[in-house]
Amino acid sequence: MLLVIIFTIFAAITIISAGMVAFSQNIVYSAFSLLFTFFGIAGLYVLLAADFLAATQLLIYVGGILVLLLFGVMLTHKIQEVNLSNESMRLAPAAIVVLAFLGLLSIAIYRTQWPTVPVPELTPTTARIGTLFMTDYLLPFEIASLVLLTALVGAVFIARGRVKK
Amino acid sequence: MNLNWTAILPEIFITLTALGVLGIDLFYTRYQKDKTLNAIVTLSGMGIAFLLLPFLSAKTQIFTSLFVLDPLAIFFKMVFLISGSMTALISINYLKMEGFDLGEYYGVLLFSILGMMVMASANDFILIYLGLELMTVSFYVLSGFFKTDLRSNEAALKYLILGGFASALFLYGISLLYGVTGSTEISYIAGYLTEQTRTGADSVAGVTSAVLSHPLLSLSLIMLLAGLCFKVAAVPFHMWTPDVYEGAPTSVTAFMSVGPKAAGFVVMLRVLLVALGALEKQWMVILAVISILTMTLGNIVAIAQQNVKRMLAYSSIAHAGYILLGIVASARVLTAGSASVVFYILSYAFMNLGAFTVLLALRKEDKQTGLMVPAMDLEDFSGLSKRDPLTAFLMLIFMFSLTGIPPTAGFVGKFYLFMSAVDANLVWLAVIGVINSAISAYYYLRILVYIYMKEPKVVQSVDNSSSLWVALYVMALATLLIGILPNLLFNVARASVVSLF
Amino acid sequence: MLFDYVNVLVFMTVGVLFLVGSLLAARLASRLLHSRIHNLDKLTNYECGERPIGGTAIQFNIRFYVIALIFVIFEVEVVFLYPWAVVFKDLGFFAFVEMSIFILILLVGLAYVWCKGDLEWVKPSEISLARERSSQEHGEILHR
Repeated sequence: MLLVIIFTIFAAITIISAGMVAFSQNIVYSAFSLLFTFFGIAGLYVLLAADFLAATQLLIYVGGILVLLLFGVMLTHKIQEVNLSNESMRLAPAAIVVLAFLGLLSIAIYRTQWPTVPVPELTPTTARIGTLFMTDYLLPFEIASLVLLTALVGAVFIARGRVKK
Repeated sequence: MNLNWTAILPEIFITLTALGVLGIDLFYTRYQKDKTLNAIVTLSGMGIAFLLLPFLSAKTQIFTSLFVLDPLAIFFKMVFLISGSMTALISINYLKMEGFDLGEYYGVLLFSILGMMVMASANDFILIYLGLELMTVSFYVLSGFFKTDLRSNEAALKYLILGGFASALFLYGISLLYGVTGSTEISYIAGYLTEQTRTGADSVAGVTSAVLSHPLLSLSLIMLLAGLCFKVAAVPFHMWTPDVYEGAPTSVTAFMSVGPKAAGFVVMLRVLLVALGALEKQWMVILAVISILTMTLGNIVAIAQQNVKRMLAYSSIAHAGYILLGIVASARVLTAGSASVVFYILSYAFMNLGAFTVLLALRKEDKQTGLMVPAMDLEDFSGLSKRDPLTAFLMLIFMFSLTGIPPTAGFVGKFYLFMSAVDANLVWLAVIGVINSAISAYYYLRILVYIYMKEPKVVQSVDNSSSLWVALYVMALATLLIGILPNLLFNVARASVVSLF
Repeated sequence: MLFDYVNVLVFMTVGVLFLVGSLLAARLASRLLHSRIHNLDKLTNYECGERPIGGTAIQFNIRFYVIALIFVIFEVEVVFLYPWAVVFKDLGFFAFVEMSIFILILLVGLAYVWCKGDLEWVKPSEISLARERSSQEHGEILHR
């Protein structure tokens, strides 16, 4: 019962703040609302007993990506204009698409007979993740580093101010 | 843990080359005038990886259960390496002319090829996704490589946002599939779903088993398809294609219209024919509709284009439709259908890269500044045969091949594709394909009309750097040779897909 | 295991309550205590007693962005390091080699940004350029 209440709180935080990201007129408010979305999702991860993932979510998304996003917002040269707004446009078609997708998903979720397993004893996941990285998922692990390298080189290349001749 | 390291040797080699190219750029840059050394290292790295592949092809090798090196993977890796090295060749002089002769280009190009190679070998959705991301991230960078060009910026941004959306859909599909089957491994999912079909058939006649009628399974199928259709630029996930292809540097566009498409199709073959083979009734209908839409829209909109680069972008959408037709057919005639798909992808790689290369090589004088700028419009091609008959003739070969006129690779490829559709009792689909080819003839041959029958309107010049011409000759020769001697390659294609089932 | 996180939840709840409570208290106190005289100086933003120049929304230097970007990439690397560190002792030498490859690949990235000068804050050439420009402008002014 307590878990249900906590789940509801985190889910509400996530959904409401996600709505604020989408509907806020001020792009800075949108960016800050995203913080609460990330935070709420981290809470949901904890409830799913994915503790490492929750910590990662906080560390990377809140600590890194959100800061990057805010820098991105502050970098735009229009930031100095007073009436900086990002109005939501084309609400009707977007609402139709979103509601249709939501309906489809809910129907699918309700009509599915989930192949369930008994809940195993909840233990910290970090060690298991580490072992899997080093054994079965070694190749994805190493490729992840290459993805990171490409992202680093590419992003810095694109973000660098001018072309050095 | 018994790891067969030889299976990933080509990938290791490409990785080392990519790191080496980045390294050259950092520590050796003082002693070199341009980036030709980077290109040479890139090319030799790809060459060695290419030469390694036949030695590994003796039997299916496995590096953990996630990574397989079967003939199909080897065939596609060869396609990627060939088209990648062609791209490197045509880029050398192009980058210099455009003033972006930077070492990062070759490094990122190699990483994108690495991503495709991983996708070709992946037997697990996690690995597929990582390969996909490695490839796409590289292409975000490459399409925005001309940083001072606004259209290049637009291309990169558009591709980034829509590509991120498509990746998210794909990932959601993977997670739903994992939820239903309990695994991300393709061979496990295939076995599980087949088992469910069998037990379902045993229980009550006419009632499919519980798992197969899962709405979630269909939903995950749709999302996986959406993600993949985005990568191969199929309607209705094609919106990004014209803008990105037009804005990106032409050498990148050339590679983009071949590499990621081929990688998307090899994943599609593995996911649809192997992992979700039990659901073929569902995806066949969806793909047939997508295929028809893709062919028709690509061809019809291409007619209206005055910009050749944009026209080729729509044409590449249409070609994705033809290939999808082959995948639909392979639901019924497994080997023949998928072999024709594989065959067509290689032919398409040569002819499409060739057409883009001619476009890249052709430059015109800008009337205001007097500088030579890339020629993009249909008008710029007028009278090319008088100025440069050889280039005009090569363009003729590529255009004939794209249309599907014998004796070129495009004709044989389309022939096999449509034949496999007929074999699969999908005559109507083949008919639609033929009608579409006829429509496409209009805009492909229109370029030739401009080249051969009109007077020059602008001062043209053709890039005569040797690297570009080597690539151009190779592609033209391959287009003709495949067209004249198709059996040889078709047998290889057939052998490559047999291992899949 | 889930209940290990209850203390985090309690801590968080107390934090939120403290925040909301203190904000409300401050609001209440200011309502009770503030003076009713308003003038322009009083309504401006507080900037160490100086008159503020311009708005608070300023455009940041692109360098902040590049640094933040590099930070995020290496933060992700650290996140990968963590589960490895937990099991490193059990897996032994092979795990060490695997992690070394992972880090070496990312070190190439570090070398890249370092050698290309993306970590330098103000480039010497830029300073000299700025100096040149300002001296030129001075010269023009003197010339007039």
